[in-house]
Amino acid sequence: MSSVTRRQFIQSSALGLAGASLAHLPGAVRAELLGSNAAFTDYKALVCVFLFGGNDSFNMVVPRSVAEYGVYANSRQNLAVARDVLLPIQPLTSDGAQYALHPLMPGIRDLFETGRAAVVANLGPLIQPTTRTQYLNRSVPLPPQLFSHNDQQDQWHTLRGRAAIQTGWAGRIADALASETVAQQIALNISLNGTTPFQAGLDTLPYTIGTTGAPIYFGMTTAPEDRDRRSAFEALLAENWPSIFARAFARVHRRALDTADLVNSALALAPTLTTVFPPSRLAQQLAMVARLIAVRSELDMSRQIFFVAAGGFDTHDNQVADQPDLFADVSASIAAFHAATVELGVASQITTFTQSDFGRTLTSNGDGTDHGWGGHQLVVGDAVRGRDIYGQMPRLEIGGADDAGAGRIVPTIAVDQFAVTLAKWFGVLDTQLDAIAPNLANFAQRDLGFLT
Amino acid sequence: MADRRVKRGLRACLLMLAAAVLTACGGGGSEGSQGNNNPPPVAITKTEAFRFLDQATFGPTETDAQRVIDRAYAGWIDDQIATPASLELPYLQSLVLPSGTQLSPSDRLDAWFRNAVLGPDQLRQRVAFALSEIMVVSDQSALVNVPAGLAYYYDLLAQNAFGNFRELMEVVTLNPSMGVYLSMLGNEKPDAARNIRPDENYARELMQLFTVGLVELNPDGTTKLDGQGQPIPTYTQETIEGFAHVYTGWTFGGSAAFFLPSFNFLRPMQAFPGFHDTGAKTVLRGAVIPAGQSPEKDLEDALDYIFNHPNVGPFIAKALIQRLTSSNPSPPYVQRVAARFDNNGAGVRGDLGAVVRAILLDAEARAAPASGNTGKLKEPLIRLIALWRAFNGRAASGRFLFDQPQVFFGQAPLRSPSVFNFFGPDHQPTGEIADAGLFAPEMEIVNEYSATNMTNYLLFSIYLRNQAIPGLLPDDIYIDIAAEQQLAADPQAMVNRIVDRFTGGQTSDAVKAQAVAMANRVPLSNPTLRVAEALFLIASSAEYAAIR
Repeated sequence: MSSVTRRQFIQSSALGLAGASLAHLPGAVRAELLGSNAAFTDYKALVCVFLFGGNDSFNMVVPRSVAEYGVYANSRQNLAVARDVLLPIQPLTSDGAQYALHPLMPGIRDLFETGRAAVVANLGPLIQPTTRTQYLNRSVPLPPQLFSHNDQQDQWHTLRGRAAIQTGWAGRIADALASETVAQQIALNISLNGTTPFQAGLDTLPYTIGTTGAPIYFGMTTAPEDRDRRSAFEALLAENWPSIFARAFARVHRRALDTADLVNSALALAPTLTTVFPPSRLAQQLAMVARLIAVRSELDMSRQIFFVAAGGFDTHDNQVADQPDLFADVSASIAAFHAATVELGVASQITTFTQSDFGRTLTSNGDGTDHGWGGHQLVVGDAVRGRDIYGQMPRLEIGGADDAGAGRIVPTIAVDQFAVTLAKWFGVLDTQLDAIAPNLANFAQRDLGFLT
Repeated sequence: MADRRVKRGLRACLLMLAAAVLTACGGGGSEGSQGNNNPPPVAITKTEAFRFLDQATFGPTETDAQRVIDRAYAGWIDDQIATPASLELPYLQSLVLPSGTQLSPSDRLDAWFRNAVLGPDQLRQRVAFALSEIMVVSDQSALVNVPAGLAYYYDLLAQNAFGNFRELMEVVTLNPSMGVYLSMLGNEKPDAARNIRPDENYARELMQLFTVGLVELNPDGTTKLDGQGQPIPTYTQETIEGFAHVYTGWTFGGSAAFFLPSFNFLRPMQAFPGFHDTGAKTVLRGAVIPAGQSPEKDLEDALDYIFNHPNVGPFIAKALIQRLTSSNPSPPYVQRVAARFDNNGAGVRGDLGAVVRAILLDAEARAAPASGNTGKLKEPLIRLIALWRAFNGRAASGRFLFDQPQVFFGQAPLRSPSVFNFFGPDHQPTGEIADAGLFAPEMEIVNEYSATNMTNYLLFSIYLRNQAIPGLLPDDIYIDIAAEQQLAADPQAMVNRIVDRFTGGQTSDAVKAQAVAMANRVPLSNPTLRVAEALFLIASSAEYAAIR
């Protein structure tokens, strides 16, 4: 069976009407039925932490050597983090300058210094390598609508460049691995933050869950007094409604009904973790991710991509007051999650990474910053070749070699390269990577090397 | 029966004809107003009236449907436009609060639900809600505890819902809640010594989301392409910077000084010229706002340039069509409505009343659904309000204290997670909608998690919050299904009555059959449960979730 026809077969069976019964067969039986011959024998998960609004990461990773700090402080003025409170880090490789993390990120600092976290420097949406001069002259193709939130989020999610691509790169990974993961009882992609284009596939659908698990339908359990109501509700979901919108709505309910009991009965088997998660929304999402990972075997999961998110990073106003809490939350939440993966014995099988709309302007608007372009991201996990900075730290100078204007920094790494490095570790074949990241061919370095 | 079918066919033809006439004369004249060539009045069926009210209100009632039938669509719209706005702020100010307490976000939502459920100005309230999802401010921000300020903002949307769009742009721009939300409030002129430049937030979003959008549009709302087949950006980063300089020098109205803000959220912002950039500013389409003007004059000029951009008509037309009638309007539909934005027939640009009228009276909104791809998904929260409207939902205390609708329905008024609203206009769910190249904005907040929660809240609202439930508390909002309960001995008649009252007969035989069967399973000794079972199946059905 060619991969296309197998995919069509899987789609028509696993996602179609027949799927309802197939879903209840043991994973191995289903894998055989569906013709999978390359199932993964190990487990890996990617966890995307999306920082909505555009994280001002030039205050997250800060130069601390005197000369470089001086350039930074001159650009950032009242927004600069004081040098004496920064948390120094000692990357294994040096570009001559010294660096530090924001003072409220001790958790990330510890992970970095112990080799379990790395910084990927100055990445952002690019179609091909782009210099400041090329940007200013518009002499290379650029991602459309730079500096616009939803358009740049979309670039991070879809890597579409100027093409009309509707799927996200996590969705395309799920499509690419559909055959290998066919035994999985629930979707490869799981969001704890609602629907996201990041996980939209062509053939595969993501699953959305809450921080307390899958909500159950009231009055529609399998208990005798609920059975008739549930049957009637299900019968109506199965109608071939004239409206395309009604059909889409019914399909969501169908998936929700099929999955909720499965997920919740698995979650009931999850061990109680001793790791304490902070109360923040981000941490609570990650706590549920940890629980889902804990019950991966119950659900026959071999590959999972989780999407969690935090908001409030669009610091146009009151940045000095608001930003410390944002960084503190990112650090404490990710550190707690990493500790949970250690507790579960899977720390080398889980890679957590941040993404965000864009970096922000180095210049201030008085009490905040505006939409930029390149920025730094974190990668965390025991598979990370940690304690290092990947890529080139930009010169944080207004009008400098990396400045597209007002301190909007031109990225030197494309999101495509970042995505592919993660995808390759995750198990996507080399031959499939260009389909995951459509702009990859324009960049010499296909793997940024931050994962073992 | 045959006779009715013939009449219906005739009516569709007449509507098509009317649309053709409108297009031919550039959209002049509203249906049923003046002229001698009006088609003879055709009776509107109850089902048609309900479908219209699904588009134009927070949910049909039999009373409103009768008004639509009596007055015809255009007459009903005229009545609604003439109905004054139900406001939130005066209600909030009339509340007697327990001593030591202040207005809370739940009080604001109480005011909102009150108007959505009970307001006689249904069309205005519905359009205000649509506008609140276009010109977004949200309490998921620094405005988390500014209920009166947000009520005042919402009231401005309601008051200007049928007014002129240029005026709406101005009241929105000068509103302090918007000023805080998109940080125009407190935005200063550049200061080289402190290395600061103006905040670009409002400059960007006013254009991108509220008025012109990112790319140049044809009059029918489709994207204009250049010689290379590429979209043409409406503006550049430099344009945004020009506008950012315009929007400098403003803070709370009644402030003693720029840095001594009054924090008064209930009046327009005020300018302090010393903090306003007085240089020349290059804005949209290369226009230059000259140096040396006052902050107020700069603002007037800037808003004029945006308002007069040819994108605004098709952009706003499509945005409002998507909120009211159709997720995928045909380009000619958008063009007909945009033409009314450009010229209301009396030479006025930006008449929102005329735009709303054009949206609802258009053949594409009024004709029987031509295919399964027409219409839209209802906004999830509107399904709950429609239930309350149809079945007289209210609390003994008279209040509507339901303060976390977003937890169950994925949305709540002025509570979007970002300025991009709860859902975007170009959301394409994976599957047959994306495969068909169609959009379904509301589907962005319908996922496994939220779909379960919204169904649960509907179930709760029907089974546990009706007039027959003992021990209801004064603030519990309950529906009244006593009349349907009277028919419980005859489930078929009971279901017919429910369908009549709730959907005006838009419910299919398949749903009715399941509802009857379900009611029949309940002992006659429990007539309330018979109604509840039937009503729940109808209200939670995928069929009811969509407007065709």
